[in-house]
This record gives sequence, C-alpha cells and structure tokens, in this order.
Amino acid sequence: MSEKLLSVENLTMKFGGLIAIDDLSFSAKKDQITSIIGPNGAGKTTVFNCLTGFYKATSGSMFLNKDNKTLDLKKFSDFKVAQKAGVARTFQNIRLFPQMSVLENMMVAQHNKLMVASGFSLLGLINAPSFLKKEKEAKEISKYWLDIINLTNRADDNAGDLPYGDQRKLEIVRAMCIEPHLLCLDEPAAGLNAKESAELNKLLKFIQKDKKTGILLIEHDMSVVMGISDHVVVLNYGKKIFEGTAQETKTSPEVIEAYLGTEE
Amino acid sequence: MDKNFLQSSLKDSLFTGLIALALFGPIVGLRTVAVNEALVVQPKWLVVALIVAFCAVGRFFINIYTFKKDQRRGEPSSFGKAISNFLDTKGSQIALGAVIFSIIFPFLPFADRYWMDIAIMMMTYIMLGWGLNIVIGLAGLLDLGYVAFYAVGAYSYALFAIHFGWSFWICLPLAGLFAGMFGILLGFPVLRLRGDYLAIVTLAFGEMIRILLLNWYELTKGPDGLTGIPRPSFFGLPFKRYPDEGVETFHTFFGLEYSPMQRIIFLYYLILILALITNFFTIKIRRLPVGRAWEALREDEIACKSLGVNPRNTKLTAFAVGAMFGGFAGSFFATRQAFISPESFTFIESAIIVAIVVLGGMGSQTGVVLSTIFLIGLIEVFRDFESYRMVAFGGAMVLIMVFRPKGILAKRKPTITMVKEK
Repeated sequence: MSEKLLSVENLTMKFGGLIAIDDLSFSAKKDQITSIIGPNGAGKTTVFNCLTGFYKATSGSMFLNKDNKTLDLKKFSDFKVAQKAGVARTFQNIRLFPQMSVLENMMVAQHNKLMVASGFSLLGLINAPSFLKKEKEAKEISKYWLDIINLTNRADDNAGDLPYGDQRKLEIVRAMCIEPHLLCLDEPAAGLNAKESAELNKLLKFIQKDKKTGILLIEHDMSVVMGISDHVVVLNYGKKIFEGTAQETKTSPEVIEAYLGTEE
Repeated sequence: MDKNFLQSSLKDSLFTGLIALALFGPIVGLRTVAVNEALVVQPKWLVVALIVAFCAVGRFFINIYTFKKDQRRGEPSSFGKAISNFLDTKGSQIALGAVIFSIIFPFLPFADRYWMDIAIMMMTYIMLGWGLNIVIGLAGLLDLGYVAFYAVGAYSYALFAIHFGWSFWICLPLAGLFAGMFGILLGFPVLRLRGDYLAIVTLAFGEMIRILLLNWYELTKGPDGLTGIPRPSFFGLPFKRYPDEGVETFHTFFGLEYSPMQRIIFLYYLILILALITNFFTIKIRRLPVGRAWEALREDEIACKSLGVNPRNTKLTAFAVGAMFGGFAGSFFATRQAFISPESFTFIESAIIVAIVVLGGMGSQTGVVLSTIFLIGLIEVFRDFESYRMVAFGGAMVLIMVFRPKGILAKRKPTITMVKEK
C-alpha cells in the first residue's frame, strides 16, 4: 500500500451558472498512474486547471503530500504551483516554445534553479564559475531526458519543427525537468499512432517506476488508459460516477452507460 | 507566349490603370488655383492621362518580364534569393564588418560634419533599437511608448546636470536608473495585457509622459524646453576654443590645433561605445536564464507558468532593462543637443524605433543596424524633397515587408547548443 500523494476533497468549480465540477473527491497515490476519463465536456481539463492554479476553485480543497508535509494547493497561484509545490503539467494542445530549440525548451523548464545560480543575472553576466557549473549540470539533465526520448541529435533544432509525436514526448520530459512530485498529463496520446502510443506507455511507466513520480492522466485512448493505469476515476457532467482499477472500470455498468448511453 | 497569360497580364494592367486613375485623378488632376481672389479648379487631365498610362504600361511589362517565370507568385527572382541567402548565412560577418567600419568611420576622407551628424543620429537610433529589441524582440511585448523612456533619460540627465552640476559620467547612470524605474512603473499596470491592448496602453503612456513634460512648467520649463545643458567633456577636459581662466582644454592638453570636429568625433565615439555596450549586454543576457525566460514568455506565457517561471518578474525586468538603455540614449541626446523640449519626444519617434526593430527582424541585433541604415538613411537622402520623405519611409517599409516578410535578418540562433559543440 503506497502513500497518498494527492487528495482532492469536495472540489467544485462554477462558471456563472454552469457547474463544471460538482463536489468531486478522489485521491492519487505516490508511484501510481491515476487516470481521469470521461466523455467530452465532462470537466476533466477543468480539474487539471484547478489543480495547477490556472483556475481558482469555487470550493473544496486539494492537498499534496510532499516530503512528509501537506501542502494546500489552493494557496498557490498559477506559476507557484509548479515552482513551490512541484506540480507539473502538459497541455491538450501542445504548448512548446516553437521558435526556440529543443535544448532551450528544456533549459527554460529549469529556470528557477538557474536563476538563483546566476545570482539573478549578476553572476551570470560576469561568467561566474559557479553559474557555469550549474548551467552545465542543467544541460546534462536535459541531455539525460533527451536521450530517453531519442531526441538528443535534434537538440539544436526548433521545437516547432519536430514531428508531432516527438513534440508530445518533448513536452512531457520538459515538464519532468522541474523535478515534479506530481505530473499532470492532459491527453498525451491524442493524435499519436499505435507505435507512438506504445512508446508513450513505456515513457510513462519509466517516469512512474524509476523516477517515483505520481502521474495524473487525462486520456481518451483506452489502450493507454487500460495498459498503464493503476487507478481510474470516471467523470461525467462534472460528477464522479466511478472509481476503481482499470479492470473494474471496463465492466462497470455506469461507465458503459456514460459512454454508450442506456438501452431503451 | 502563352495567350492566356498575355490576356491576364493585359487585364491586370488595365485594372492597375483604373486604380491609378482613381488615385491620381483627384490628387493630381484637380488643382485649385487662386484667380482674382477666388479659388478656381484647374483640371490637368493630360498629366493624369500620362501617369495612368505609365502605371498601366509599367505594370504590363512587370507582369510579362518579372512575373513570367514565377507565374506571378511564388519563387523570388535569383537576385533576391542570393541576397536572402547572403543575409541568412553571413549575419555575423556583416556584424563584424559593421563594427570595424563604424570604428574607422570618423577618419574616412568623406566624413565631414554633415556625415558625422548623420552617423551620430543613426547610432542613437541603433542604440534605441537595440534597447527596444529587448522588450519587443525578445520578450515580445509590443511597446509603442518607448520614446517616453528616452524622454525620461534626457530630462533627468538635463535636470541633474543643470541643477547639481554633476558630470556626465554620474548623470548617465542616474538617468538610466530613472528610466528603468519608469519602465517598472509602466510594467505593473500592463502585466496582464498582451498584443493590441498592451500596444494601446504603452502608446498612451508615451503621450502621458510628453504631456506631463509640457505642463509641469516649474520643473521642465514646459514647451520652452531646458537650455544650457552642459556639454560633455573628455574626462574633465572641455572642448572649447576659449576656455575659462586656468582651465585646460582638450586641444591644449594634447597639443592639437582647435577644431570643432574634435567634439563631434568625441560624441560619435561616445554613442558608439554606449551602443556597443547595449549590444554586448543584450547578447550576453540573452544566453542567461532571464533572457531565455523572456523569449519563452514571447512564445507561450501559459507554458511558462506551467514550468514555474514567474511571468510578472520576467516582464518587469524586460521593461526595466529596455527602458534603462532608452534612458542612456536619452542622456546622450540631451548632452549632444544641449537643449531639449517635449517636441523631440513625439509619437513618431516611437513609431520609427518600433519600425526599425520589426523590420530588422525581431530579436536580431544586426538586423536593427541594417534597418536603421536603410530607413534613417532614406529619410536623410530625401531630406531635400521635404514632403516626399515620409513616402520614402513608407516605401522602404513596404519593400522590406515584401521581400523579407519576417524582417531583414530573421534567422534566430539558439542561445545554447548541444550537438554542434561535439
């Protein structure tokens, strides 16, 4: 039984009269892959946006266990969720820095520690050895991750010039550069072919097992969800309709009803 | 020749003639003349007919000879390609050549007073372009009020120098500091704005500063301007023919014949050094984490937030650093002119600097130099033609946009590389 990493309690998000998330509670464990699935418009991405500080939840609470401390995620505003709490995310429509090189993308993700190392630019301007050392380390970390996704030889090309599948993978490893405790992936398999999804599964398994990073996954591709999820949460119209293992989800009548409708 | 092509070219040139008629008919054709204290319309249809015919025939020949191979759109001509290729690959050689040329420039035989003045003016615009390049080119914040920082720099330099009598080298950093503070002052309210909205607010900010300078009479002497700003001295040695009693001057110290050119050459090297400092600072800071964060912010602000980059601090530093260099340039302007008034800081200055940055190629340092030479040079060449200057300016912009839509030098070099160094 592994330790609880994230617990969401009674989360509600309203946009005017529209209730996007309605009293949602679930939890995610450390070193596990938790998937959130549901039909289009079920409120999955809204959950992510609340977790990562892009939206301010109307009510409810979200707690993250980090180094034996419990952090209230509601207290962190947008960029601080990534900076202070260590929650990284990717986006449904890939958000790389397209005109910057692959390596630069990876370096921006290590911005905060490099900023401190560069003495907020003062040490960097005079080429202080301590900064150059840190910069080299950051480059090594980038190389480590780029080796894993086989992109090292394209490190100096613009990120926007990469094939779609590589862009997806780059966005994931870029998020890993902030050394997150929780990685939130919004439809990472969207638009990938069968071979690429298989590679993605491998990458996610590696992050989960070797990096001991909890993963929260929104996905429509059932081969990905069923292949790697330890735990599945099913949403419909902002409400949780089912929670369980992948196997249980497959046979649950509520889930089948939500996706396929009821028999008259 | 293809009959269809001939037909469509003919049609196209007739259409061009129609447009020319609509444009030049009223502008050239109807001239009002004063006859016996009354305005009389005097039509000049022959001139209009000639212009229209010229446009139509010219268009026809362009269609046939220039667009023929390319089916009117698509591949540029081989000459254009060669220039493009040259600009794309030889950026650093152009830069090196430009630096060497600018260092030896004052000693070239044709560099008389007129050319030196133009060179100093161009160098000021280049420095302003480089300063604004940080804000627009790197951080992607479209700032249309950049001249405000130029003004703040100039006025703070002038006020410090006049009232406290401090020397140039004390007033210069202070002016930069003040301008940088104004950059932060502008930065705060516009943190959440992007694109068009940001442009509108910065435009208003630029005008506010100018109007403030016009109306705060006690401090700025309003439209009268500030006079008697001390001229810069060469490390305490003034450039004067008849110095005050007991003061050594530049020409006596070095045992030279007095010449007013000495001061001009000194000013030239001063702005050259200031501009090069701006340039090297920008090149360096682009490779630091903060520079990369600026560019990342330009590319995608939401992605930046998701990676824990603080957008507020990042934007404010961009505004502050850009404004600081504007302030340095402003101090130089004040000490060169010895007189400043709000007249020198109108919106057209901001517009020219923005045009320089955008046409040079966003974020390209050498591009700023090339577009300054092109734009300011054209304005100067057309100085004798008064009202046609702005036409030339507009024409230059159109030309650049047609042949180099992303700016003269659009190729961006990565700030850090991995594959190449192996």
